[in-house]
Amino acid sequence: MKKGLEKKKLKEDFSKKILQFFKTRKFNFTDLDLLIDTSLLTERSGEQFKKSTLTYRDLLGKEVSLRPDLTVSTALKYIQEKKTKEERFCYYGTAYRLNKKGDLKVFDQLGCELINSLNKNASLILLETILEPIKKINKLEVSIGDMGLFKILVESLDLPDRWKLRLVRHFSRKEYFSDLLKRLETNYDLDQHTIDVDTERLKDLIAIDQSKVIGGRTVAEIVRRFKKKLKDPRDDYKGKSNVKIIKDFLKINVPLLEAERVIINFFDKNRLPVKNIQSYLKKIIFINQGIGKKYSITFKTDFGRNTEYYTGLVFLAYIKKKNQMIELASGGEYNNLLKTLGYKKNIPSLGGAINLNQLINL
Amino acid sequence: MNKIKLALPSKGRLKEDSLKFFQSKNLKVINAFGERNYFFNIKNNNQIEGTYLHAKEIIERLNDGTLDMGISGLDLLKEFPEIYSKNVKIFQKLDFGFADLVVAVPKDWLDVQNMADLEEVSFEFKEKYGRRMRVATKYPNLTESFFLSKGVSQFRIMPSLGATESYPFTGSAELITDITSTGSTLKANNLRVITDGCILKSSACLFVSKKFLNNKFLKHFK
Repeated sequence: MKKGLEKKKLKEDFSKKILQFFKTRKFNFTDLDLLIDTSLLTERSGEQFKKSTLTYRDLLGKEVSLRPDLTVSTALKYIQEKKTKEERFCYYGTAYRLNKKGDLKVFDQLGCELINSLNKNASLILLETILEPIKKINKLEVSIGDMGLFKILVESLDLPDRWKLRLVRHFSRKEYFSDLLKRLETNYDLDQHTIDVDTERLKDLIAIDQSKVIGGRTVAEIVRRFKKKLKDPRDDYKGKSNVKIIKDFLKINVPLLEAERVIINFFDKNRLPVKNIQSYLKKIIFINQGIGKKYSITFKTDFGRNTEYYTGLVFLAYIKKKNQMIELASGGEYNNLLKTLGYKKNIPSLGGAINLNQLINL
Repeated sequence: MNKIKLALPSKGRLKEDSLKFFQSKNLKVINAFGERNYFFNIKNNNQIEGTYLHAKEIIERLNDGTLDMGISGLDLLKEFPEIYSKNVKIFQKLDFGFADLVVAVPKDWLDVQNMADLEEVSFEFKEKYGRRMRVATKYPNLTESFFLSKGVSQFRIMPSLGATESYPFTGSAELITDITSTGSTLKANNLRVITDGCILKSSACLFVSKKFLNNKFLKHFK
């Protein structure tokens, strides 16, 4: 393990070289804010986000956090600078996160973000740029997953809309997601007795002013949703067969080269429409054509579920050392992030970063 | 010899029931310094140095080691960070102070029966109003963990010091979590408990500090 000055010098050398390389790929260096308005983070990710960020209240009572990652900071920069077109940012900086015990963990990252790009090869461009500086590392392996594929799978299942939404919304929360599957399997969802009692009370609610607000919601809103719920099928979810399809799908783990064939076969075998998936898989095909032979890449449908804001491709480059996985670079697509941080609409965005702390210890 | 530092709740039903509990163990509490004084003794027992404290304070003092034992509510211990449960041990759950911490919504929210409904409504609310639903509570930590375990992530905690039941009707929050023993206050305030919305079943407990766990005095309570 390297220490002190040696570490510092190595970091400086690596960062200089890698940033230089990023520049050759037309990514422009940007300085990112160290502090982030906490309300932006909690509004996006909820109160639980505070538990993993170092947060304090300033003299005016406003909560601010040390940046927990540099993707969010870059997205905020794009918004603050009122950009409207494709931007290629690169950066070198530190992210600060608290682990479950509350200890501060510091990550030095070198990364690139490609925001608002309509280039169909954007994923390939980003992956190539991030992997190139570490390509010579012995036994480097890359895992790829894609959150968007799961969404397509769920949309093609014969399920009530609210179940589809639930499954997609909670895909990144593994523990709760497996609870959801159990519920779907047993068709447990509604209590018929309470529904009967409430149906009686519905008449009273329909009779009053529909624009009246009760607990922040209008009567019309409540009535509409209740009626919709009553109409939803309850006993014919095909819960077990749908859960089996989902579970089998999440077991797909193949070399990237075989991903397209295996996924199309899976949809075919389960009699699910193939059209949408074929067009979506083009992205995977481009990546395979571009860097499939250069790296050892595995495609896993269950991979990359731990970051809430990823919406599409997710990747991780790592090596194994004494049965431990050393994560060297990671990233993914985050097409909804900017809107949740205040941008006017969702825009295609993706990014990745090299973990400098691990790199200098190799 | 160091005296055993004991604390009992300083007011209300919890105080009365705690005194009865001690009496049932042949430990009669004597207010030797007057009814309004916060210190007490135990009849025919010189080992004890007793203090009346706020129930929440009892947990704090057991955690920092300045108390050896005390009676307080399980809900209060669970609301503190997890580290408290390492330092403050439940020696005995007692037969009083029963109350549930529950999730309650306006009774006219007919479409919200369970936490799955709330999860769905919270997303719709965020989509429609561009902000998260606010949950008024005196128990932010327990509420947050429970909501997240049920998949409800689109919410915001509104810390409340009291009269929490009024929040959904004053525009300060959309729903609440609160402690209830019979549910009558919730009902009286036009709220209803969600079917799977019981966060914690609480009761009074005899708590001891970790270092006191093997003390012989505890034999009185076995």
